[in-house]
Amino acid sequence: MKINVLFFASLRELFEKDSIEIAKPENIKTAQDLLDFYANHEKGPWLELLAKKNTIRLAINHSVVDWDSVINDGDEIAFLPPITGG
Amino acid sequence: MVEVQKEVFSIEEITSEVKALGSHIGAIVSFIGYVRDFDVSENKMLLEMRLEHYPGMTEKVLQTIEKKAFSKWDLSAVRIVHRVGILKLNDPIVAVVVASPHRNNAFDACRFIIDFLKTEAPFWKKEVTNKGAYWVEDKKSDLKQSMSWKKEG
Repeated sequence: MKINVLFFASLRELFEKDSIEIAKPENIKTAQDLLDFYANHEKGPWLELLAKKNTIRLAINHSVVDWDSVINDGDEIAFLPPITGG
Repeated sequence: MVEVQKEVFSIEEITSEVKALGSHIGAIVSFIGYVRDFDVSENKMLLEMRLEHYPGMTEKVLQTIEKKAFSKWDLSAVRIVHRVGILKLNDPIVAVVVASPHRNNAFDACRFIIDFLKTEAPFWKKEVTNKGAYWVEDKKSDLKQSMSWKKEG
């Protein structure tokens, strides 16, 4: 089972793709762990995402949750830049 | 009822469909949000607005807002229609139509829904102007307005 990670709006442009499928690395429990792991290993846009974290909301399976939420195989994780509808 | 669509909507059609639900409806309040031009002081022109959303989550969030409105006020019907895709100046973006036996409930619920939509529903606007294209920043004033509802409970 993989984790589907979605990027929207400015983050889609930053990553130059709208989604990626990743295998959950060992010892990664929370969304924060995942972000730290990719910022350390992949750098590039992940480092920028980490730097912007305070302005980004995290959704797991369509619900906004805290960064210390546990992630599981099969989850859909989305990074949401500031929302500007209406 | 919640709809996310590319097509333009007709507020007249929505309100007459809602009114047709029954003679118990004594008041319908509707809100329409439009693509607007910049202030003259900003010295730029809007060429188009690109609206995107998170399919699946958007509908879920809007349905939750609708449910909350039904639980807070005596309402007969709610319709939320939000457009996505490429919009031009003066195009309608969003409609919120609320029907109730009495006007106060309809006014309050309509405002509640649009305030929460602005801060909770995953939509993003990109403005394409003669000075470049950029993502619209979130407005602190919108957040303040939806927080004021939270304080009321």
